[in-house]
Amino acid sequence: MLLSAHSLTLGFGTSEPLLHEVDLDLQSGQRLMICGATGSGKTSLLMALSGVIPKITAPGHYAGTVTLDGEDIATIGADALFARVGYVAQAAEDQLWDLSVEDIIAFPLENRAVPRDEVRARIRFLMEHLELTELAGRRVLTLSGGERRMVVLAAALASRPRLLVLDEPTTGLDPAARQRLCRALEQAADDVSGVVISEQDPTHLASLTDTLVLISGGTLSRMQPLAPALEDAAQWRDAGLLAPCRSPARRAVPTPGKELLSVTGLRTRLTRASGKPVLDELNLSLKAGEVLGVIGRNGAGKTTLMKSLLGLIPVAAGEICLSGQPARDWTTARRARSIAYVPQSMRQILFHMTVAEEVAFARSMGRGTEETAAVLTRYGLEGQEETNPFALSSRQQGQLGLACAEASGAAIAIVDEPLLARDLAGRGLLETFLERMTSRGRAVMLISHDLELIDDVATRLVIVGEGHLPYDGSLAEGWTSTAFGALGWPAPAAKPRETAA
Amino acid sequence: MSRLQELNFFAKLGAAFALMIVAWLMPDWRWGLPFAALILLLLWVARVPKLGGYLKGAALLTLMVIISWMINLLLQGLAPVAALAVAAKMAARLVATTALFYFVMETSTPGAILAACSRARLPAVATLILSLLFGMIPMLRDEFERIADAQRARGMEIDDVSFLRKLRFALARGVPLLVQAIRTAHAISFSLTLYGFDLSRKRTTWRDVGLMVEPRMTWPERAAAPIRAD
Repeated sequence: MLLSAHSLTLGFGTSEPLLHEVDLDLQSGQRLMICGATGSGKTSLLMALSGVIPKITAPGHYAGTVTLDGEDIATIGADALFARVGYVAQAAEDQLWDLSVEDIIAFPLENRAVPRDEVRARIRFLMEHLELTELAGRRVLTLSGGERRMVVLAAALASRPRLLVLDEPTTGLDPAARQRLCRALEQAADDVSGVVISEQDPTHLASLTDTLVLISGGTLSRMQPLAPALEDAAQWRDAGLLAPCRSPARRAVPTPGKELLSVTGLRTRLTRASGKPVLDELNLSLKAGEVLGVIGRNGAGKTTLMKSLLGLIPVAAGEICLSGQPARDWTTARRARSIAYVPQSMRQILFHMTVAEEVAFARSMGRGTEETAAVLTRYGLEGQEETNPFALSSRQQGQLGLACAEASGAAIAIVDEPLLARDLAGRGLLETFLERMTSRGRAVMLISHDLELIDDVATRLVIVGEGHLPYDGSLAEGWTSTAFGALGWPAPAAKPRETAA
Repeated sequence: MSRLQELNFFAKLGAAFALMIVAWLMPDWRWGLPFAALILLLLWVARVPKLGGYLKGAALLTLMVIISWMINLLLQGLAPVAALAVAAKMAARLVATTALFYFVMETSTPGAILAACSRARLPAVATLILSLLFGMIPMLRDEFERIADAQRARGMEIDDVSFLRKLRFALARGVPLLVQAIRTAHAISFSLTLYGFDLSRKRTTWRDVGLMVEPRMTWPERAAAPIRAD
């Protein structure tokens, strides 16, 4: 047996343990997928299976045993253990600091005093096989989320581990990056004895794994073959997850209201290596009641578009109007009273000492009037008024972002890759937010790589590419458009869905 | 600039120390001030990044040093002109010193420092301290700027306001900056353990290290990497 967990119980100071008496066995050569909703304990389980718990992080309560090749990991030294286990955290940033791509990949080998020629050969091999050669010399903190994840994967493979443990590796990746990751993992999996992957949507890596375990309520389901389990919608719902095979629930297209945002002939000062502006001659309109889905490859200019609208980067030409008023010369702060911004990582934009202060600040910056407690309750944060925002989980910070955006009363909200929408409860919160925004004459710009999410909740689609918007129109036509075809991504329509409700 | 970044960290550090000693040996302000100005000119010629920000900080520091020395010396009964001469000499030393180490910090990546230390077979603890010391400050400064952008994006007017309000808003950045600093420290500590860093073991390096430090691995067929907007 490659990996075993027996009566594993983990708790973090709460009355109920997060995982209770968990048993799990992984044979050599087996590839296991663990699926569960946010907060179900996936990350804690993976940390325990990889030895990160208890070797690096100590939980409040830890009982039971985890063995690797029959050896209790508690008795293996950290250095020896992590030479045998490759671990990629859900937040790849937690494993990175300001080093270059080659430095990160070489780090486990250099630290173990592997000779230089051997280190170089291994770096070359991994960068070539994981298609990372284009990133040579780049500092990892300047890379996109997907690129960072691939670099961390390469570092995890550097010391030729027996076991590879990956925590939601497809988070935030565009479909092309997911495909590349999948190919890389298929190659990598041939060199390791076992793979454990956690995910919320199992379809992304279905080709890589053969066995499934669902986690909910602190316990694991029985181990089952993955392919037939994908068809069983009930067990996914029971685990708090959106079923992989579900019926369509496209949002009704509203009658557009007044124009809230108008962008004409936008050209950025920021240029590409070729000297071409990242955005050029870009035109865009957003009307009241709309949920605009924004998609595009990594590096296509989605973030640049968002920053241009917010006034965070200078524009060279073009006009931006907010509710009919020219806003190009407005400061970022003035624009923010019309545009609420909800980034993927809320940590970036929190700076108050309590949750209530964050909401009150958002309200004071805009035209919102609703009581703080009512807004927080709507987004599942009741009783958290006095909590420090940085003490909230990432999921709760995402909920706070929605609460602040709604409380601000801003006419437009830009929501960048809402990761909380990947399970039933989170999807429900996002749908509440969208419903309340659009029903009150406001609009949302939703930037995401999750095409299923866009297809479910957006009322219009734009594709960012080649410096402008090669497609702007309905979702149904968008998925069959030439611009979407050029991306080479699978259309979400190929997979029926249902709503979170 | 890129050639300066590739210059071995210890060569830059040694040069900075040598010039700093010269700055401190200057007999009075008539020598000290031109020397400090020359150092700043060299930084400008070398196109050291974000020099404007450094100069603002240096100006503030100079002012504070001169004021504090003037008060101190005047209280001791020194004539104002003589007190100003001493204060100017001290300020010149300080500007030269901070400018030189700013140059080392801005032109040395943590990876290049790690490589230089590993090649020199320094103990792992010294390697770690030097990399963190010179690598963390630019990282935190960038984070400070990102937080300012976030404040702007949430409607906080931090540019078109009085100095006092600017200062207040800058202080408000302290909380997320502290959180980020802790997160960074955690990430570093986590990756050190996960990737087998051992204080009792001397590291190797993948880089070719001499007077210059190899900046990247090369593939003959590889084209220049494009700028990524997202």
